[in-house]
Amino acid sequence: MAKTLLLISDKKEDHAFAVEVAIAAGLSLMHVTNPGQGVVLIGQEDISVILADASSRELFQEFEDAIQGSIGLFSDKINSNAIHFISSEELENVQYLVQSPLFGHFVLRNFQDPKKVGEHYGRIVKATLAERAFGLPALLKPGTKVQIIKLAHTSQKNEAVEAIKSLLLSARFQNRMATAIATAVDELLMNAMFDAPVDEMGRQKYSTTPRSVLLKLEGTAEVEMHVGYDGEYAAISAIDNYGSLDKVKLLSHIAKMYADEAYKVKTNVAGAGIGLGQVFRAGGSFFFVSESRVRTEVTVFFRKTSRYREFRNQFRFLSTQFYF
Amino acid sequence: MINALKEQKGNVLTVRLVGAIEENVVFEQLIGVPPAALDVNCKEISRINSIGVKSWIKFFQSCQAKGTKLRFLECSTQIVEQINLISNFVCNGVVESVYVPFSCKKCHSELVGLFKTEDLKNMKFKLPLVKCNKCGGDAEFDDIPEEYFSFLSR
Repeated sequence: MAKTLLLISDKKEDHAFAVEVAIAAGLSLMHVTNPGQGVVLIGQEDISVILADASSRELFQEFEDAIQGSIGLFSDKINSNAIHFISSEELENVQYLVQSPLFGHFVLRNFQDPKKVGEHYGRIVKATLAERAFGLPALLKPGTKVQIIKLAHTSQKNEAVEAIKSLLLSARFQNRMATAIATAVDELLMNAMFDAPVDEMGRQKYSTTPRSVLLKLEGTAEVEMHVGYDGEYAAISAIDNYGSLDKVKLLSHIAKMYADEAYKVKTNVAGAGIGLGQVFRAGGSFFFVSESRVRTEVTVFFRKTSRYREFRNQFRFLSTQFYF
Repeated sequence: MINALKEQKGNVLTVRLVGAIEENVVFEQLIGVPPAALDVNCKEISRINSIGVKSWIKFFQSCQAKGTKLRFLECSTQIVEQINLISNFVCNGVVESVYVPFSCKKCHSELVGLFKTEDLKNMKFKLPLVKCNKCGGDAEFDDIPEEYFSFLSR
């Protein structure tokens, strides 16, 4: 029996998007227009994926309250890994979403072409239905070649970043796009090299170590970079063997904006806390997959466009998948 | 790697930064003790990562604290993005001029044009078309105006 995707939205564009997601992920689609009806179905049916309109705080609250009032926020029917919120608002304006225990995925409603982006996002959804959502090949068009680069020393990061930029320029990405993607890779690799390593107690090993310090990346500390381009999307994964990603910290960093308030330099930590947020605002989408104490894969996607304006304004999502 | 080319004229030190600003940059070594007036030419800054941003703000805040008159000239698109994303990126300095991105309507080539910020304010986001230096076609502004020029309205 086909697994089910439940769409909770009264918006036509959400429906068009959900149809494509369901097709790409091999799911049957159920559709209701309000959170109350949706939560009734969640309680009665075996729903694999929930795609819910959370355009306003009120709408989200209605959804959360309906769950709390019937199934319960911590019911086994509710799994944040399977809940995808759609919003027209930028991430920094929907703090209520990222702070909710229900948060798993954020989809920005600038679909432009629902068929194309639905197909792309459908691959993400399909990956989340597997026992573990690891592996870049499943996230790109079938047959896309994925190159694997192992980094055994932190000094190899900048070389890897420049290599990605050259690769993208040779694939005819504009220089500004290639630079934005290279910078994203820089942030991903730096996080995998310096933020991911934890000791046996789960404490960060290098939280105060300057990022210019040269470290060998041997054994568990080895970092891999996987790179693929399917003719439409460039995707790069940074992989570590710690599985130490902190969801709350991650989301609070990404959702924070400094355009209106001052950025305060923290000297007690070596990281800057702004890298991933800037990548998201530059047009990148994220898929974070982390299995506690085993492995974390962070993948960034950028669609190639003919003009930078479209690149910046492309369809974006922030997906998380945590296994404990 | 970043390189700094320095020139002192009177009490103004002009520093041209060339390359990528990342974790290895030590501005205190590159630029030295903050002078009375510092002009930073940002034309050739190709990229800046988050650790580079942190170092940048830390250094220029120390300049600000010492009363250095800061000016940022010929800011590359990478630097303009940071100025927009981080409200205190220029640490009360003056952004004198910026590069503005254009894209050719015909051949999609990337171009940049240098504009004084004062002129941009007067234009109210209405930028002229420029000629593509590859095919001679018309090139138009290629970014989101409200975002690329948001620093002008601060």
